[in-house]
Amino acid sequence: MSWYQMHRCVYDWVRAGEVNSAEGGDGRAGFDVSQYELTDDERKAFDNRDIAAFYTLGLHEVLINRYARAAGFARDDYRKILAPFGEKEERKGRWQK
Amino acid sequence: MAEIVLAYCASHAPMMSSARMAAPEEQRNHFFGALDHIREEAVARGVEACVVLSNEHYTNFFLENFPQICIGLGEKNWGPTEEWLPIDKVWVPGHAGLANHIAQYTLNSGFDPAFSHQLELDHGIMTVYYELDHDMKIPLVPIVQNCAVPPLVPVRRAYEFGKALGDAIRSYQGLQRVAIIGAGGLSHWIGNPRVGDIAEDFDRWFLERLTRGELDQVLDIPDSELELAGNGAHEIRSWVAVAGAVEPIRARTLAYEPVYPWITGMAVAEWETLPERDQTSATVGAQETRREESLT
Repeated sequence: MSWYQMHRCVYDWVRAGEVNSAEGGDGRAGFDVSQYELTDDERKAFDNRDIAAFYTLGLHEVLINRYARAAGFARDDYRKILAPFGEKEERKGRWQK
Repeated sequence: MAEIVLAYCASHAPMMSSARMAAPEEQRNHFFGALDHIREEAVARGVEACVVLSNEHYTNFFLENFPQICIGLGEKNWGPTEEWLPIDKVWVPGHAGLANHIAQYTLNSGFDPAFSHQLELDHGIMTVYYELDHDMKIPLVPIVQNCAVPPLVPVRRAYEFGKALGDAIRSYQGLQRVAIIGAGGLSHWIGNPRVGDIAEDFDRWFLERLTRGELDQVLDIPDSELELAGNGAHEIRSWVAVAGAVEPIRARTLAYEPVYPWITGMAVAEWETLPERDQTSATVGAQETRREESLT
């Protein structure tokens, strides 16, 4: 598993469809995922647009957010997908004391 | 020498632009009313250029090289990057003279900011900048901080950088009236199971610390604790940097609204750097109130 390769792959895919300086266009259609050294699980997550799998594989949360939007998931939808992974927080912040 | 004639911070949730009407009307009016006030003050105070601190969202930098602080030195920068953000895509004028001065001054003060001659400006800067100047003509020096990818610049370090930044602006001879702006926060979660939550207790506590000038508890907060107010709460670094730039002035909260449709504690606070103007405004306000009362 390469944490970096998974991040690079998702990041490049997201960026391929964004406006980049004065150039426009969507490069996601011909995106070549084979150039990244992904594990089978990572490749499967990418091919299936599996946000839950990306979350459990440790994809950075800022990138999950950007990926979800780029892949067409409404925020409420991806919240529902990730909800089962929520854990009860026992700690308290200093503002709660 | 330049003077900081306007200092304020505002949250920068992209939905304030892309889903503006999703917020309840009262909350929307309160939040944008504060930004309208800021925009009017910027005109009245003759702001010639602005320095905007925000945070990096994997827009300019990735894991190969992720600076803690990067100053935009370019004569222009492009934004907004997001294709879905309903703000015109434009080349935003920079201010190379001020930006280079800030870079040199902060280097001489013990900081090591990175620099970029062309930054892409995402919602982090563009939402707040647009509300300052709908024409997007005021020269803008962007400064992006790492508030997302550990290890993060410590909160206190962001404050200390802000102090040097304030001194840098005030020692610049090429302008007279500069605004300093922090964009981001307050509490919010993205990309995890708590997306949509808002820690109102944290937001109110943080704003109270700013208005009381009691920042020690904020500056010493470790990232693991700050995270309890959401992974987006790390963006308060922009706020404490502005507080540092204008210390010992205390903040005044203009608006705070936990806007759940925007998944963010939305706030606007300002630091009055021109007390004589504040007094004038207060006098004018009192006169207007008396005038209104006499009419009823």
